[in-house]
Amino acid sequence: MDSPAANAAFAKQINIKFPLLSDMNKKMLTAYGVLKGYDVENQTYQWAQRANIVIDKKGIIQHIEEGDGAVDPNTAMSVCTDLHKKQAAK
Amino acid sequence: MNRTLAICLLLAATPVVSSAPAQTQKPALAKISLKVGDVAPDFTLLSDQWKNVRLSDYRGKKNVLLAIYVLAFTEG
Repeated sequence: MDSPAANAAFAKQINIKFPLLSDMNKKMLTAYGVLKGYDVENQTYQWAQRANIVIDKKGIIQHIEEGDGAVDPNTAMSVCTDLHKKQAAK
Repeated sequence: MNRTLAICLLLAATPVVSSAPAQTQKPALAKISLKVGDVAPDFTLLSDQWKNVRLSDYRGKKNVLLAIYVLAFTEG
């Protein structure tokens, strides 16, 4: 499990300025339904699957990508940009 | 990016205790349980700065991009 300390080292290495969060007890992942079970050598392991989720200022989900489609964040970023433009135009 | 909060969740695999009967069952494959238009469930998680970050703290202030991926220091 990646701890906040591991995330801090990772954030420093790749020089990002936004928060990296740790779901140590998987509550959020469970609530969002992104945990995936894998059977390996008769043991079940749970991993989060890749997902990008855009949530607007009202807390409403506006965009979801999952699996391989979520590896590249650019589409989700475009959704955010468009969302902001629409909100600014109102 | 400055107007949008991006949050990444980094998660490593952890074994789930599974009994012998459970091994015969196919694990439930995740299909994201939310859809566009749903209210995003609130959560509070520890950031890399050891501070609680709540989704609802951004309500009415910023759009949020949640990028969920599996392991730090990998391309996964």
